[in-house]
Amino acid sequence: MRTLQKGSGGYLKMYEERFDKRRFDELRKMEAETGVIPNAKGSARFKIGNTEAIAAVYGPEEVKPRHIEKADRGVIVCKYDMLPFSVPDRAKPGMDRRDIEISQVITNALNRAIVLEDMPRAMINIRVYITQADAGTRCASLTAVSMACADAGLPMRDLVAAVAAGKIGDSICLDLTKEEEDFHEGGATDVPIAFLPSKNEIVLLQLDGKVTREELKKVVEMGKKGAMEIYELEKETLKRRFSNESKS
Amino acid sequence: MTLENYNYMRELAEKKLRLDRRQEFEGRKITIKDNVINHSDGSAYVELGKTKVIAGVKVLNGTPFPDRQNEGALVVNVEASELASKYGEDRINYSIEVGRVTDRGIRESNLIDLTKLVIEEGKTVSFVYVDVVCLNNEGNLFDAANIAALRAILNTKYKIAGKEEIFTLPLNRENLAISHTFTKINGAIFFDPSAEEENVADARFTIGISEKINSLQKGGNGFFTPEEVDFCAGKAIELREERFKILMDNINS
Repeated sequence: MRTLQKGSGGYLKMYEERFDKRRFDELRKMEAETGVIPNAKGSARFKIGNTEAIAAVYGPEEVKPRHIEKADRGVIVCKYDMLPFSVPDRAKPGMDRRDIEISQVITNALNRAIVLEDMPRAMINIRVYITQADAGTRCASLTAVSMACADAGLPMRDLVAAVAAGKIGDSICLDLTKEEEDFHEGGATDVPIAFLPSKNEIVLLQLDGKVTREELKKVVEMGKKGAMEIYELEKETLKRRFSNESKS
Repeated sequence: MTLENYNYMRELAEKKLRLDRRQEFEGRKITIKDNVINHSDGSAYVELGKTKVIAGVKVLNGTPFPDRQNEGALVVNVEASELASKYGEDRINYSIEVGRVTDRGIRESNLIDLTKLVIEEGKTVSFVYVDVVCLNNEGNLFDAANIAALRAILNTKYKIAGKEEIFTLPLNRENLAISHTFTKINGAIFFDPSAEEENVADARFTIGISEKINSLQKGGNGFFTPEEVDFCAGKAIELREERFKILMDNINS
């Protein structure tokens, strides 16, 4: 049963039980595998609830176009795209403004995670597609991309573990679904956050909604907790991939 | 920028010093001119130090979106124009990022009550277009664009075709989400980065804050720790008062 109480301000104050009965700090069911695109240098698929991202990594290779080449370090070109059939209506093929912004913030995070100083004058091409979207797509993408980079054997400071935390009514929640995110009567706040877990570094952080400073602190803590769980899954998946390799 | 200057600025930052001799959390001077564009319904020219932007608001009739029949719409666009300066990053991506962050702050704070922009239910609503163009980029376009957009929205007066009276936008003034941008250089955090500082910076952090925090955006290739995020949020809350005063200066209630 949905326990919804209207508060004095007209909007929902309490969000006592989540729509899908999860605990407030519980992630949706996750699946991860690597090597889904044999043609790519590295690839991975990451599914969390009904959100699924597939990432492929090509390179390091020659930089094209030449003018983005850097003499002292490599460059990353990362493109995020929501496939036309990934959302309830049809998403127009190609990148829109949202896709471009998300590509940019993902690239920013990867620039920290990958040791680019080791590959001057080279470029790494990354493509990530959302096949199914149910909120938290930029986080799922980043998680998939980081596994794909590890699969490709790129030198990395750490894996990136990303999750969307947030607030609905007065409750801090982890891994929001689309239904929760759109729940505007509750004043839903969405905070995508990405960590390099072993270094405690935040490499992606965005927010839209309404939170106080104290709530923000709690949301970040909650995000960290979720990221650690995802981090474990990432490591598990990669261990499996590399132990298979040694057998064959 | 030469390597020598680059290293010099990063060394300065380590000692928490800035090239333009500002304090760590000292913002540059903000100058605002109202109604500079006579074809717009509301406009503002803002200088943040030497960063110059113009914002113009147009309110036009339109058909509502199918999923939001009883709401007007807000469209915010920021252009880091080619005449403003050379850009290190890709100019178009940068424009989109600034535009979307500016949009997010205004939208999520519910500054404009979109439900009051309905002219004929299900058929005609008002579309509020906010266009911000950067004329000279000397750093911190995020804050300059935000202040210009807010000020232009505040002084907007518009007519609706077929009606006599002059309207103002339905605003909740306590919900002005003012943007505060911090930069991290060599481990030190500064407020309101100049263009030179942006060039040598590791990371950027923009906080849009009204009564509560309405938007956050981390940018750049570096990182922030959870403690630094909290610290910046605290600083932004402190700094907001001053910017709020400047923003509301000479605005009749």
